[in-house]
Amino acid sequence: MSGASERAFYLGIDLGTTNSAAAVFDGEKVEMVRNAAGNTLTPSVVRIDAKGNVTVGARARRLLESDARNTRAEFKRLMGTAQRLSFAAAHAEKKPEELAAAVLSALRADVKEQLGFLPERAVISVPALFELPQSAATTEAARLAGFTKVELIQEPVASALAAGWTVDEGAGRWLVYDLGGGTFDASLLETQGGMLRVVGHDGDNFLGGRDFDWAVVDWVLAGLAESRGVRIGRGDAEHAAGIRQLKLAVEEAKIELTRATEATLTVPEAFTVGGEAVDVEVTLDRATLDSLCEPLVERTIAVCQRLLETHGAAEPGKLSRVVLVGGPTVMPVVRERLRAALGAPFGEGLDPMTLVAQGAALYALTAGLEARPDKREDGVGQRVWLQFPAMTSDLTPHVVGKLVGSASGERLASVRLSRGDGLWEGTPATLDAEGAFVTSVELLPRRPNVFRLEGTSASGARLPLWPTTLTIVQGLTLSDPPLSRTIGVALASDLVRVYFERGSPLPARRTFVHHTVESVAKGSGDFVLKIPIVQGELDQAHLCRLVGTLEIPASGVTTTVAAGAAVEVTLDLDRGGHLSARALLPATSQVFEQVAHLLVPDADPDVLEASAAAMRDRVSALRADAFRRGAGKAVERLARAEGDLAAVARDISAGRGGDADAAQKARRTLLDLDGELERLELDKRWPELEQRAQREVVTALRWVSRHGTAAEQQLLNELCAQVEKARAARDPAELARQLRVVDDLSDAAFYRDPDVWPTLFESAASRADQATDLVAASRLVGDGRAAMERRDTAALRPIVEALWKVLPADARQRRLGFDSGVR
Amino acid sequence: MSESAARRRFLDNPFHVLGLPKTATRAEVEREGQKLLGMLGLGLASARSYSTPVGPAERDDAAVRQAMAELRDPDKRLLHELWAGSAPDAETDVASGDDTSPRGAGARRWPEARRVLGFGARRSR
Repeated sequence: MSGASERAFYLGIDLGTTNSAAAVFDGEKVEMVRNAAGNTLTPSVVRIDAKGNVTVGARARRLLESDARNTRAEFKRLMGTAQRLSFAAAHAEKKPEELAAAVLSALRADVKEQLGFLPERAVISVPALFELPQSAATTEAARLAGFTKVELIQEPVASALAAGWTVDEGAGRWLVYDLGGGTFDASLLETQGGMLRVVGHDGDNFLGGRDFDWAVVDWVLAGLAESRGVRIGRGDAEHAAGIRQLKLAVEEAKIELTRATEATLTVPEAFTVGGEAVDVEVTLDRATLDSLCEPLVERTIAVCQRLLETHGAAEPGKLSRVVLVGGPTVMPVVRERLRAALGAPFGEGLDPMTLVAQGAALYALTAGLEARPDKREDGVGQRVWLQFPAMTSDLTPHVVGKLVGSASGERLASVRLSRGDGLWEGTPATLDAEGAFVTSVELLPRRPNVFRLEGTSASGARLPLWPTTLTIVQGLTLSDPPLSRTIGVALASDLVRVYFERGSPLPARRTFVHHTVESVAKGSGDFVLKIPIVQGELDQAHLCRLVGTLEIPASGVTTTVAAGAAVEVTLDLDRGGHLSARALLPATSQVFEQVAHLLVPDADPDVLEASAAAMRDRVSALRADAFRRGAGKAVERLARAEGDLAAVARDISAGRGGDADAAQKARRTLLDLDGELERLELDKRWPELEQRAQREVVTALRWVSRHGTAAEQQLLNELCAQVEKARAARDPAELARQLRVVDDLSDAAFYRDPDVWPTLFESAASRADQATDLVAASRLVGDGRAAMERRDTAALRPIVEALWKVLPADARQRRLGFDSGVR
Repeated sequence: MSESAARRRFLDNPFHVLGLPKTATRAEVEREGQKLLGMLGLGLASARSYSTPVGPAERDDAAVRQAMAELRDPDKRLLHELWAGSAPDAETDVASGDDTSPRGAGARRWPEARRVLGFGARRSR
């Protein structure tokens, strides 16, 4: 390929809460895309005027305060919710993803300005802890903006990729500290042999630089209350304009204070109280700013330390580098506290503001997403379909190819690759019976390598091939992105059938057979059989988050489906974590793909208030217990939970004032707190869990030694060591996870016992009178008795399994399991 | 209760899926995985099956990705090395059924089975 206009470009976009940025990678270097104003950062602000004209970026940002009813910012936090944002003058209501699409369109136009073509494919970054609906909304935004194909990458992974691309360094563990406008992510990554692997991450979906601003705003308002006796709350609708102005002034002062030691906050006539204008004029010094921000910084450090502890990297010296990402990380207080707490060097020469976009562009090459629209390919020669890694850390990767179509003339017999610099030539690879070949090439490190393809016929004649060349870039690569949260289907028993474990590589697809717990009568009114899809790490469905529900409506089935009928559910996840789901009903040969409520739930202030109150009760109960047990660590965590609850109360009141984002934040904090309290309650029950562990290991040892294979016995020994490790670490979640495996092994051996099926039959038969289908149940019990008399254990098994399917689900558990209609 | 866990373990063993010895280096794992993904991408029949000590098995994209991911994690790799090295018993092949059970001890099709059968304080026979 020749000429700049022919080069391949890869586009990465950081769709940020406050600012967005785009970068292009050409295989050699990453370049930032500049907007019309010549800046690499485009504020994520959208304005729509009375005529419906859309303005994005700095020009919209300037009107944020004076024309607040027609200008919107920080909509990224609302992605995936049903929240609509109104534009008064245009009489329009927009979904968050429509506004994100406006920002993406603007960046797309900037790329055209710089490179001369409108990009069609890109990689877009999302926070590591984005839930499925939020990722889905991001993909939708890209589609609305005109992209034909996008992949999502987690922001910390993108940052690490960008940081790693420039650093020549062997193995090590890196912490990516990403404090954005609206989210905080901490990620632990490991590089080894040119491969980048995500070890783990943690974070707070609703803690960001913006909260630093609000902390200062609250401080100013508290000052006003003290000096002037005026009480102004963040949620007061009549003061909304003044609050916005004040927040902007705070943002500017905060930037000023990264260099100066003092800044003045001046907002003349910011508020009107009792018909009188109230000016804001205060001096904010560095020390005050630091003290206001410190609790928030401490929260981020606690998250980092939790992450490091989880992965055994907490001791000093275990961490080789800290990569800082996001505007707020330039604040001196953040850097000082981090240096003191983590004791590892910061990555040098990296721009915290554009690192994510750069990494996304690098990843676009790995994912093979060329930005340029497809050209008409009208090459001469026989067409070869090629598969090779576009970017790899391997110095001698494989190239696989296959001849497509039947060309006239001589048959292609072998293919040879030679490197563009003429210093390396491969041996000819012979085509096999399928017309395919496998060969390997030698790469020069850290650059794009172009290879020419040469075809030869059986008689030794040169045959032209298409394409004529292929390019492979050698450099740091990323293993398949791991799933950040476990995904499964909630069952009527309030348990979860796991489809994808956290950390599974994406893309992924799995199918499981479930059984309905009740019948779906054809056309029976509004009845809908629900298959809830949940995300989360805990065993009980109600402790996970509902991310969507597959629905089988009675109005949609062609014939009545009996209780206990099979339902094949397939969940599909693409590389960006985008979920699609389908249910197949073999009984009617119907497929249902309707996924309802793939949304982050609305945050109703009343509901939030009630759950916050319930949470406070749990905290005080736990604290009383923790004091009694003298559990210092638990007391400490509970104190933090109380602080969070106070913040939640403030956010709820801001939510009542119309700040939907604050309400969402409160909802998320409450969910996180719920998980945290759950863990503490689990901790309280630790002795009980430990006993259970002992019991289960003993039983497993007994069954496996009796009926297990040699390999199973060996595996059990291995597992026992893991259980011991989890016990020593007092890690209830890990212990529970290991016990599940022990259980499986124990079960496998148990079911080989000759007496199993008769015993299971007797017990199931004793409950037959509660069956959902009494006729079927009594027939099965009859069949079973007959089989018992014949001593036909083999026949007994399917009978028992059929019986289980008609035994009822527990109503209370089912309600907890999001009304799941399957088991 | 299902296809024996042991048999599954042999079929799903990442070393078998990738057709590599258990001594394969990390780079070899990536290279071989990448090659197989490429071959599967081209729909080559030669990549669609692999052999295991308990017979041949079907290979697909997801299995290759999963195998690569398993071997990247040092702890998991250790366990798989153990299995790749051991020979299967004749009895590992039990009846077939659906896949793994849902998580949580009581998730079996009949939640009380363990208690009724005296699990926990399992009687000795």
